[in-house]
Amino acid sequence: MVIELTAEQRAFRESCGKLAAVLAAQWNRGRGPHDIAPPVPDKASWSRVVDTGWLAIGLREENGGAGAGVVDLTVLAEQLGHHTVAAPVLGIILAAEQLQAWGAPSGLLQDIAEGGIRLAPALDANLRGLACAAVGALAWDAAGAEAAVIPASGVAHSLGDPLPFADPTRAVRPLGAPSAGIPAFAPTAPDGDAAARLDAFALSLLTADLLGTMQAALDAAIEHARTRAQFGAPIGSFQAVQQLLADSHVLVEAGRSASYYSAWAVDALPGREALRAARVAKAFVSRSAVEVCESAIQVFGGIGMTWEAPAHIWLRRAHAGRLVLGDEHHHQSFIADDDFSRS
Amino acid sequence: MDFADDPAEAEFRAGLRAWLRDHLAEHRDGTGYESAAAVERTLRWHRALAAAGYAGLSLPAAYGGRGLPDAYEAILNEELAAAGAPPSPPIGHIAHAVADFAGEELKARVLPGLLDCTEVWCQGFSEPGAGSDLAGLSTTATFDDGRFVVNGQKIWTSGAMWSGWCLLLARTEPDRPRHRGLSMLVVDMRSPGVDRREIVLASGSREFAEVFFDGVTVPAANLIGERGQGWQIAMHMLSYERGPADMGWVGRLGRVLATACDDVRSGRVAADAGLRRRLAEATVEVQVMQWHVARSLANRTTDTTGSAGSVDKLLATRVEQNLYRVVSDLAGPSFVLGAPGPFSDYLWSRAQSIYGGTQQIQRQIVAQRVLGLPLA
Ligand SMILES: Cc1cc2nc3c(=O)[nH]c(=O)nc-3n(C[C@H](O)[C@H](O)[C@H](O)COP(=O)(O)OP(=O)(O)OC[C@H]3O[C@@H](n4cnc5c(N)ncnc54)[C@H](O)[C@@H]3O)c2cc1C
Repeated sequence: MVIELTAEQRAFRESCGKLAAVLAAQWNRGRGPHDIAPPVPDKASWSRVVDTGWLAIGLREENGGAGAGVVDLTVLAEQLGHHTVAAPVLGIILAAEQLQAWGAPSGLLQDIAEGGIRLAPALDANLRGLACAAVGALAWDAAGAEAAVIPASGVAHSLGDPLPFADPTRAVRPLGAPSAGIPAFAPTAPDGDAAARLDAFALSLLTADLLGTMQAALDAAIEHARTRAQFGAPIGSFQAVQQLLADSHVLVEAGRSASYYSAWAVDALPGREALRAARVAKAFVSRSAVEVCESAIQVFGGIGMTWEAPAHIWLRRAHAGRLVLGDEHHHQSFIADDDFSRS
Repeated sequence: MDFADDPAEAEFRAGLRAWLRDHLAEHRDGTGYESAAAVERTLRWHRALAAAGYAGLSLPAAYGGRGLPDAYEAILNEELAAAGAPPSPPIGHIAHAVADFAGEELKARVLPGLLDCTEVWCQGFSEPGAGSDLAGLSTTATFDDGRFVVNGQKIWTSGAMWSGWCLLLARTEPDRPRHRGLSMLVVDMRSPGVDRREIVLASGSREFAEVFFDGVTVPAANLIGERGQGWQIAMHMLSYERGPADMGWVGRLGRVLATACDDVRSGRVAADAGLRRRLAEATVEVQVMQWHVARSLANRTTDTTGSAGSVDKLLATRVEQNLYRVVSDLAGPSFVLGAPGPFSDYLWSRAQSIYGGTQQIQRQIVAQRVLGLPLA
């Protein structure tokens, strides 16, 4: 049993954090919803993302990737969540992994890895799962994407304008007609194990993104509690505030353990077990992320309710990430079926 | 990152499973503290586990432990839960206080009996006037003529009625600042001047007592560490008491959950959609707690804050109290009507946020020592 990141993974976390901070700094949420920037990075930052290899690290080498493990990918995802990065990195990674699992041609995957084509994953209209058909499907984290592919059909679909979405750091766009630019391919359905693993992969990345967001909200709330003074003392010296933050810390640490297990399981356990672990982790972290972000707003007080403060962005990302690929209720219903339904 | 067993861990797990398969039936009546007979069964279970080499896993082999990494405690807890076995003996905290601070002679004298569970120990910290504010305790141990003389009263002492030894926190240096005036002594409970009076828990469980010390003589050789070091040792011990694996909680909760799921699956207990939802939520929480405990045990040696135990305790408290709320509701009217078992179990879950330092105190430890928030 070795339950921590390796030295290389810690170094990778640091480098991811640096670029994530750069990306975060160049996105402008403006003075209100009326002048918010779309979650599309400028050309220069995007080419840094591509050059760093973020889009390719998870793909197999023959598809232009670096063959990194899921734990490494969640290290990246956590940093994206921590800095609430408004650039569609996770969306592209998910779309590429999905295409790889469905046997998309290596040329297409290499194009994605090199930043030549930007694709987004397609979700069901209720956001709960990866879509099997284009009708009603929604592309998620789709800012600047050219298309979303429905892997079961091998057909890429053009995308409509972004829909109103509570999380301004990620665009949701409806699927339209088949896209002319990206040729269709003949998909091979992954077997049961690979299909479960693909779902576990997607859930694990989203869980890590949520973990990063809740950690960021907690860190900022702690910092605020140390510096903001009332009644002649830092608010962080008041027991009521301390207790709220301590409970948040417990949720973050437990969530981290869950995220680690879920990421490890994707590469180490049979698909079925990995999917169960990923459901448990996603359920726990979905609920916790919202709770921690709500507590952070409480600690910020009035400023936490303003557009200007970042607190609502964390809460927005937490809620959206919670619903995307299924919230706690969704996953708990599967767990109930597995564990205690009458056969 | 590897949550799986390495070869040595796998071998240990397989051996433990085989042992449980062969011996668990002898302990089918379970353990408990509600009567003298239950205590007898509990001790018999602890001794059987210890004799087979499954107690004191992370304690030095020279004194009867196994000298294994802390992660083995997680394996023990997982396997006991999976087999539906009673929890492991709650001795890790006391054993670490002795093993990590006592001199060679004292360790050699007392640890083997503690670790093979032939000698039962209790922890004499709390007093009527000193609960959360432990450093304010007033039991004195006055050094006189090469020995300590103890006077005072302890309360809420678990297991005191049948313990042979007490790990006693007492004031030896009344003129020093209060945290520095305490020392940790090993007291023979059979000494003249020790008087125990049973206190029955709200659940009816008979594991509590108040203990009076009236001129009790304790040899100087029974001092753990140095005079004035008692607070430091107590905090070290409490960090183990708060780590759920050392106390066997993880295993116990896993077992309670498995029973509840079984009851619902088999139809013995009817669960509507709302209850199923809550049971699934409890399943998620127990699973996450098990992963978390494995992670904190795997990293315990490298952890330097010493306050991680408080994080684990807060998590375990939340998980346990939620779980028992669900289990109680699954019981329906038999939660309050008929045999008192379900209600007693629920009551016991409420103690989780009190003993070993209350939930409020744990949160303050986390806020101030882990998160670095300022003192009031
Ligand atoms: C089942 C059980 C087993 C136990 N076993 C042992 C044992 O073996 N040995 C032993 O020595 N002790 C034992 N105890 C005692 C236990 O450690 C104490 O009960 C505990 O530390 C609380 O002390 P108290 O009961 O005096 O409560 P108090 O300290 O009076 O606390 C009462 C309430 O006030 C709150 N409070 C107190 N101070 C503060 C503060 N500064 N800030 C915020 N809130 C505060 C507490 O959180 C609590 O809610 C056991 C207790 C139980 C329930």
